[in-house]
Amino acid sequence: MRTGSRWRRFEGFAFVGPFLLLYIFILIYPLILGIGISFNRADLFGARQWVGTENYARLLADPVFHQSVVNSLKLVLLIVPALTIITLALALALNRPTKTAAVFRGIFFSSSVLSVTIVTLIWRFVLTPDAGLIAKVMQALGRDPIPFLSDPNLTIPALAITTIWWSIGLPMMLFLAGLQQIPGDIYEAASLDKASRWTTFRRITLPSIRRTLILVVMLQTAAQLQLFGQAQLLTAGGPSGTSRPIVLYIYEVAFGRWELGYAAAAAELLFLIVLAVTLIQYWTVTRREPER
Amino acid sequence: MASLELHDIRKAYGDTLVLDGVSLTMEPCEFVAFLGPSGSGKSTLLRIIAGLETPDSGEILLEGRRIDQLAPGERDVAMVFQHYALYPHMSVRENMSFGLRNARVAKDEIAARVAQAARVLEIEEQLDKKPGQLSGGQRQRVAIGRAIVKQPKLFLLDEPLSNLDAALRLRTRVEIAQLRQRVDAALIMVTHDQAEAMTLADRIVVMNDRRIQQVGPPMEIYARPANSFVARFVGSPAMTLASAVLIPSDGGFARVRLGDGAEVETRVTEDGLPADAPLHLGLRPENVAVTAPDAGTTKAKVELVERLGDRTLIYARLADGLEVTAQDEGDSRVRLGDEIGLRIDGAAAHLFGPDGSGHHAEPAA
Amino acid sequence: MSAGPRRAGLSTPALIGVVFGAAIMVAPLIWTLLLSFKSNADLMRDSATAFSGPYTLENYGAILQGSQVFRWLLNSAIVSLGTTAGVLVLCSLAGYGFARLDFPFRRTLFVFVLLGLAIPEQAVILPRHQLFAELHLHNSYPGLILPGLVAPFGVFFMTQYFRAIPRELDEAALLDGASRFRLFWKVLLPLTIPAQATLGVFTFLGSWNDYWWPLISATRSDRFTLTVGLASSQMNYAQTSGLGFLMAQAVFASIPILIVYIVFQKQIVRAMAGAAIR
Repeated sequence: MRTGSRWRRFEGFAFVGPFLLLYIFILIYPLILGIGISFNRADLFGARQWVGTENYARLLADPVFHQSVVNSLKLVLLIVPALTIITLALALALNRPTKTAAVFRGIFFSSSVLSVTIVTLIWRFVLTPDAGLIAKVMQALGRDPIPFLSDPNLTIPALAITTIWWSIGLPMMLFLAGLQQIPGDIYEAASLDKASRWTTFRRITLPSIRRTLILVVMLQTAAQLQLFGQAQLLTAGGPSGTSRPIVLYIYEVAFGRWELGYAAAAAELLFLIVLAVTLIQYWTVTRREPER
Repeated sequence: MASLELHDIRKAYGDTLVLDGVSLTMEPCEFVAFLGPSGSGKSTLLRIIAGLETPDSGEILLEGRRIDQLAPGERDVAMVFQHYALYPHMSVRENMSFGLRNARVAKDEIAARVAQAARVLEIEEQLDKKPGQLSGGQRQRVAIGRAIVKQPKLFLLDEPLSNLDAALRLRTRVEIAQLRQRVDAALIMVTHDQAEAMTLADRIVVMNDRRIQQVGPPMEIYARPANSFVARFVGSPAMTLASAVLIPSDGGFARVRLGDGAEVETRVTEDGLPADAPLHLGLRPENVAVTAPDAGTTKAKVELVERLGDRTLIYARLADGLEVTAQDEGDSRVRLGDEIGLRIDGAAAHLFGPDGSGHHAEPAA
Repeated sequence: MSAGPRRAGLSTPALIGVVFGAAIMVAPLIWTLLLSFKSNADLMRDSATAFSGPYTLENYGAILQGSQVFRWLLNSAIVSLGTTAGVLVLCSLAGYGFARLDFPFRRTLFVFVLLGLAIPEQAVILPRHQLFAELHLHNSYPGLILPGLVAPFGVFFMTQYFRAIPRELDEAALLDGASRFRLFWKVLLPLTIPAQATLGVFTFLGSWNDYWWPLISATRSDRFTLTVGLASSQMNYAQTSGLGFLMAQAVFASIPILIVYIVFQKQIVRAMAGAAIR
């Protein structure tokens, strides 16, 4: 066994090497390539032509791109607050050691292990105005079906509902974990102080899970800004782009119009948007309260 | 031929010096204890010998062969870790054979050695169990067994008694003593407990402040401590060090005056002692007896009485504020607050120079 | 579990809310299930017949008889298992290296890997598509597996886990003459089995449900993974299949993942919580 101390220092490379090589080749290299491509006019077949920041300029002036950014923001505003409140409420209600609670937790978590295609398949036939579940229920109640997937004002809410249904699992889990870290005696002290349920919640529970709350909001915002599958499959971004989020826009530009450079630029802009939103959230939060 | 030789081992972590030129020579089959407080460098020294750390400079030889450049597994050294470090997912048998299998020892040889060690350590019943199923004492024996089967030239024991309760400690002390008898190898034990070192080792290496303070057999360390650190570290309760000044005497032996005016005649030769320098008089409790207030070398007021059954320790304060530990009979009637006399046995007293170096009484002819 | 406020049971509105919520969670699933057991002809007339009337297994029969679903299932299985195995191997090795071995630039490289956590898929997926096109890796198993192997979270996770193992074990093994690799393989790796289970299940799930990359990389229908195949089915619905058949496909596609969910529930929950708290 060659253990000359000269080479011993580099043994570590043999262990981290394989991963690092793949990492560089399949993540870092494309990342840099992508930035490069965004400064080109390129198609999917390899033709390249340097155009500097033209793609970015076009994007910033492109009303379709603007629409997609607005759509993404709308989705975030619809999904994140509702999802946060619902999952927090569920976590509070189900944070007990009973078997029933465990069963309910399992039910609420189960949707998040399904893939986006299964979820959209299911929800298509819940939302669709002719054969859908909701339509049938509405009919039974003697009312008209709601055109979730075709009315431009309803497509984004439809996507939001589907996404919320799908995404309950993880935030609920995070809240449960956060709640479980609150020591029980704080609650006992509060009850000795005759605190009402609401006060207990507001003054004790909420501050204790502040970090989890922030985490959930930040994670979900970033995730929903990157929403893709549901939009592609349920509404195809329509009608006329009213439910097309940014990632779907990128997809269509790249694989529909073959404009790789333009799409790459949009992807970089998305990256920046997500980064900016995350950082803004982080700074707002850490500035408001001094480091504990 | 010496078993282990350390030549001028030096080690620093960044700017912090941890070992400052440590050298030592061990006899074959000798049991040496590295004794010292935490931070003294003793554990680092042990780990350097094991090969778990590399010294910045210096050489290590084991039976004449240079080992400081070798990997830990190639040094013919075995270690029993403080917390045993048994492989949790392997059975006892596998734990004990792991090292031998790595060394490609023949299977039947491995089986034979493991069986023998298990028999000797009385863990035969445990061979197929996992460490998690064993008691603390059993685990320690497995750790010892793992070391024995390798038939090393040197055993390293890292604080073997530190985290044991009293009963287990006694049992383990016996185990270690027996281990010593059974193996044909040298042993080094690291400990901060001077009683352990005193009872088990052939020689003690007292370490403090990154250096070896003294090396010698236990009784020599006890009776002739090289400096005031060793004097106070070894022996419990600790030796009293009283400020003293040399006063003229006839007879060639030093005579000193204590802070409260009492005078003590020692049997320490006067030459060799720095004149006009502040000294310390070292007194072990057994050298300070309790008498009636006017019948002793000096007077003191009792502040604490510890009754141990076979003797009583009296912690008293002299007029000048010095705290002295004295020893009395088991059935001593001294009580808190009493004014007592202390008779100091000057013949057994030590003197320590301003640099801490120890000067001791000439042995009686 | 720490006590919530007053564990005396839920207030009535809360209870109603939870039950109502659960009903909403479950209703679409039941609807899908019911639809899958109806003949396409019946459903063409009126999908409300799902609530009553004759149920049939004909859709499932059609699947078993040679729809492409089986092929897709096989592809998904190969890709997901391959990715999971690969991730476990690569991330364990890397985790051990970062946690226990000292080599030049170790800390920098670790941070370098962690930065990968912040990179969203979109920034990378298009150029990667180009790259793989040049390398002729599309419509192949390696093409689907390789991107999944790049798992910075896996490295982070395994590194933390290795770090938590007491160093004394390493030292004992070194003194027992083990090489660094043998130490990894025989001593430390077996102690990471819980972490492997968690990371493995997490990776498997992610790979199985992955949509965008397989969508653009596997364009031949016999190379689709289940997830992608199901999407293509959806889009073809109008022309062919029929509602019942489509729903049967959805149910069929859910089964593997639900089995994994039920068996590995603990690991999944633990992994997802751990993933987000990076």
